[in-house]
Amino acid sequence: MSEAKLDDGIDNYAASAAFSPAEKVALAYAELMGTSPEKVDAAFYGRLREHYSEEEIVELGTFIGFNIGYHTFFGTIKFYPLFSPDGRLVSQDESARLYGDQPMSLGSARSEQAAEKVS
Amino acid sequence: MPNIEPLPLEAIEDAELRALIARCEALGVPDAVFGRILARVPAYAKVTLEAMLHSHTEGSVDHRLKEMIRVSLARFARDQYFSALRSRRAQQAGLDEATIEAACSRYETDPRFTEAQRVALRYADMMYLDPNQVDAAMYGELKRHYTEAQIMELGAFIAFHYGMQVFMRTLGATPTLPT
Repeated sequence: MSEAKLDDGIDNYAASAAFSPAEKVALAYAELMGTSPEKVDAAFYGRLREHYSEEEIVELGTFIGFNIGYHTFFGTIKFYPLFSPDGRLVSQDESARLYGDQPMSLGSARSEQAAEKVS
Repeated sequence: MPNIEPLPLEAIEDAELRALIARCEALGVPDAVFGRILARVPAYAKVTLEAMLHSHTEGSVDHRLKEMIRVSLARFARDQYFSALRSRRAQQAGLDEATIEAACSRYETDPRFTEAQRVALRYADMMYLDPNQVDAAMYGELKRHYTEAQIMELGAFIAFHYGMQVFMRTLGATPTLPT
């Protein structure tokens, strides 16, 4: 999976032509569980069942719940990836500078690094 | 009926999973409903229930404090299922409903709580209400009362249980028995 598709899946999945209806409803499941869980109702589970078995829905829901819980906790600890986007082992201070305060994809981090190099 | 129907216990063939569900039921958190829903994916069910039990009952942070935090988070997540469940171990250790209610609503001013309990309850409160407030200053405050190992224990407990509560809220499940 490319970084461009990953970005599209986060920011633009509903309108993107790169995702199947099954992928779109799974991405919506993740987004709504984090932002508007009241919208993940019986009708929404009905939409999920059009594409996924109950086993797969439980797998997705557990995975999403786990990630909602842990990423907020991890965000408060302020730790950053061990490696830079170009594969160098970097200190936490350098990694914080590279990846910043906001989550970003490796693709956008590489673009920013490239822009810094030419400026 | 929950949005994913729990499997009948007799349909769960994995003996290890059935034993884990029984251990959870003995504690009271979660009761069999959660395990029977997760049992549709037995490998997920086993690691999830094991982590849930371990994070709630092992370690060196007072189990009663974790139980207060857990109920408070479940209410914040508006999860009727986990809000209604109670740890029998915490109850046997003296945690009553009045204290749980105070922990959920007025821990900052209620005289029954120590400063250490207050900062832990605030940590849980802020984690999902306003994580920007869980900053270096708050970790500094936590370190005045807890070891780094205990802070990791608390943080991991909060993250794991809150995540499962959000999932369970969307399923619309309720406990097997009134508590």
